[in-house]
Amino acid sequence: MKQWLIILICGLLAAAAGFQQVKPAQVRPLPEAATPPELVATYSNLADSILATKAAEASLVRSIVAMTFRHAEGLMARIEDKLQEGKKARREIETLADLVAQLGNEGDASVAGIRKRLLDAGHHHHAGGEEQGIYDEGFVIVTKKARKALLEVAKKIGQMASAPDAPMLTEAWNEVIQISASLLKEQ
Amino acid sequence: MSRRAFEWAARWSCVAAALIGCGRGDHETRTPPSPDAAPGSQFEFVDVAAAAGLTRVLHAGRPGKDHLLDSAGTGAAWLDFDLDGHLDVYLVNGWLLDGDQVVARGENALYRNDGQGGFVDVTRQAGVTGEGRWGSGVAVADYDDDGFPDLLVTNFGKNLLYRNRGDGTFEDRAAEAGVEAPGWNTGAAFFDADQDGDLDLYIAAYIDVSVESVLEAERTLVWKGLAQVAVGPFGLPGAADHFFLSDGRGGFHEATAEAGLADRALGYGFGVRALDLEPDGDLDLYVANDSDANYVYRNEGQGRFREIGMWAGAAFDEHGAAQAGMGVAAGDPNGDGLLDLFVTNFSEDFSTLYLGDGRGFFEDASLDSGVGPATHRPLSWGTVFADLDCDGDQDLVVANGHIYPQVDEHPEQQQSYGQVDLLLENLGGARFPRFRPVSDQAGPGFQLKRSSRGLAAGDYDNDGDLDLLITALDSPPALLRNESRRGSWLTVILEVPPGGGTAIGTRVLVRAGERTLLRDCASSGSYLSAHDPRLHFGLGRHAVAEQVEVRWPDGQITRLEYVPAGQFLRISPP
Repeated sequence: MKQWLIILICGLLAAAAGFQQVKPAQVRPLPEAATPPELVATYSNLADSILATKAAEASLVRSIVAMTFRHAEGLMARIEDKLQEGKKARREIETLADLVAQLGNEGDASVAGIRKRLLDAGHHHHAGGEEQGIYDEGFVIVTKKARKALLEVAKKIGQMASAPDAPMLTEAWNEVIQISASLLKEQ
Repeated sequence: MSRRAFEWAARWSCVAAALIGCGRGDHETRTPPSPDAAPGSQFEFVDVAAAAGLTRVLHAGRPGKDHLLDSAGTGAAWLDFDLDGHLDVYLVNGWLLDGDQVVARGENALYRNDGQGGFVDVTRQAGVTGEGRWGSGVAVADYDDDGFPDLLVTNFGKNLLYRNRGDGTFEDRAAEAGVEAPGWNTGAAFFDADQDGDLDLYIAAYIDVSVESVLEAERTLVWKGLAQVAVGPFGLPGAADHFFLSDGRGGFHEATAEAGLADRALGYGFGVRALDLEPDGDLDLYVANDSDANYVYRNEGQGRFREIGMWAGAAFDEHGAAQAGMGVAAGDPNGDGLLDLFVTNFSEDFSTLYLGDGRGFFEDASLDSGVGPATHRPLSWGTVFADLDCDGDQDLVVANGHIYPQVDEHPEQQQSYGQVDLLLENLGGARFPRFRPVSDQAGPGFQLKRSSRGLAAGDYDNDGDLDLLITALDSPPALLRNESRRGSWLTVILEVPPGGGTAIGTRVLVRAGERTLLRDCASSGSYLSAHDPRLHFGLGRHAVAEQVEVRWPDGQITRLEYVPAGQFLRISPP
């Protein structure tokens, strides 16, 4: 008796399932040939994040350059004081040369290592600008032209370390100010 | 890298064209010689490697060069391991692969010079086979100060430090000495960094990669949209260079960061040269990095260094662009008594001549000297400044060869896998030395088309001129015997007695007529190689050098007056 009851219930369930299968096919509309809206929305959110990350990269590199400039600016003031007092400032002037070269390289060797990692992964912040010869590979705010100019000034400053000439040093520093100001202008 | 190369090609081809218009030649287009050039060439080089017995094939991975390691090649050294007065040869070998299978682990080779123009293979009896490791480079120095030159062999894997026992055999002491440094090691230099009288050691490294990755490598980089070639170096992580401080008892400990030599950019390091750039008596260091800024480490005293390349003018080319640094030559081609540097680079970019000002700053003179246009097309590796015609100025030799065999399928690109090596004759010049390419007039030795890598100069036949030992991928080496017409010469042998410290870093100035000639002693240079440790001077028409001045590493000076030319002059510290 119990067995018959189980068989009856299973039969009823199977019949119900068959009915369920047939019914939707008769009423469901054809699927739309479109990407599901929820996936589009998710991708759009992700795109916002990707673009924000790129903007954040530009902002971070600008901060590196700005901080390097502030550091150099403070050092330049100290050098001027020392020179006015008739003291030597070889270490300070060489460090200034280092910082100016770092301005041209958007940071020191550690930053260059990170830039290389990004390039390794195929990330070029200014792929188009690189094609046009405006930027060196992987550079974010420092243009090729500015980079060359900053490296030249850095060398000029470094060469003055052992026999500093205050007016020439100021002249070189003014060049740095001018180039940096143009780089740090919000784009 | 390839985009940069195109950009350079476009920019410099205009410059090259302008130069040709001004009467200078480049590698492809021959122009009339300048008025002060000698008619025809006095150079003549003949490859005598096979006849002399230098037959070891130097393996280099797979024929298709699926990984950069397959293309990097190996170095060579001249040394007199048995102190018999004749230069012997050491060759570093790689592995032969077939797909992901290792077919053969190449054996390094030590050839003893028989003193009659031939060489005898003594590798196994000397115990310097390379232990089956995939070799890279070699540096030669008497690191334990016992009077016999030792060998450091850098490897893809653990390095080997072959200590010369003085009885014709060597023992590997790398593990005990603490310099194994597993990785893809490349150029190396022994030098006394802290001026304590013993030799310290710098070893450059290229990329961080496992043997499994090398074996499984596939060519996935598309070269100029034409062919699939090996990936890199971009796309591959750089490996950190090492600096080892000697304890003075044959041991070393790593002191890279403490010495200020931390490779923070993880540059793809290749060529290394220790030299006194300023010159203030302590040795500085130059490291050529592939596709990265080169390093100029200035010695601040007491074994502390400061990297100044970016503002010293020798990290980049004159436009601030990083190049693909491979090999390094140091010399004084303009005869101003100051050391200059020449760094070889990738094809369709220029190898760079940095003229030193003696205060640690450099000027890129590639264009003004003519080396730029002449080196633009080939892909360049080993290099040396050497006065090959003994006329009193240093000429320049560059070993060439592409890394992609696939370029041969595209002749329209005007590249080839096998390339002739380049001989640039020094024509003189006050501020800038002026060079002209003369390979096509320099005898059959300079017509060989191979994929050359290491290059070491040495006077193996003791006839007073410098010969050239050049390695190439998957080939035996070439030994280019110098049969050029030449002037008079003088070779200085720096003899430091056992326990007396090192000659590395010694500077020798020779005055002959109006010229003052400078050479310095180093353990290594070029690309993964080591030159003749004896210092060779061409004296032109002078039968006598008015003065020979030796500045030893400890600051002592030896002066000799009126030294006759045509001799091997032995000088010991006072």
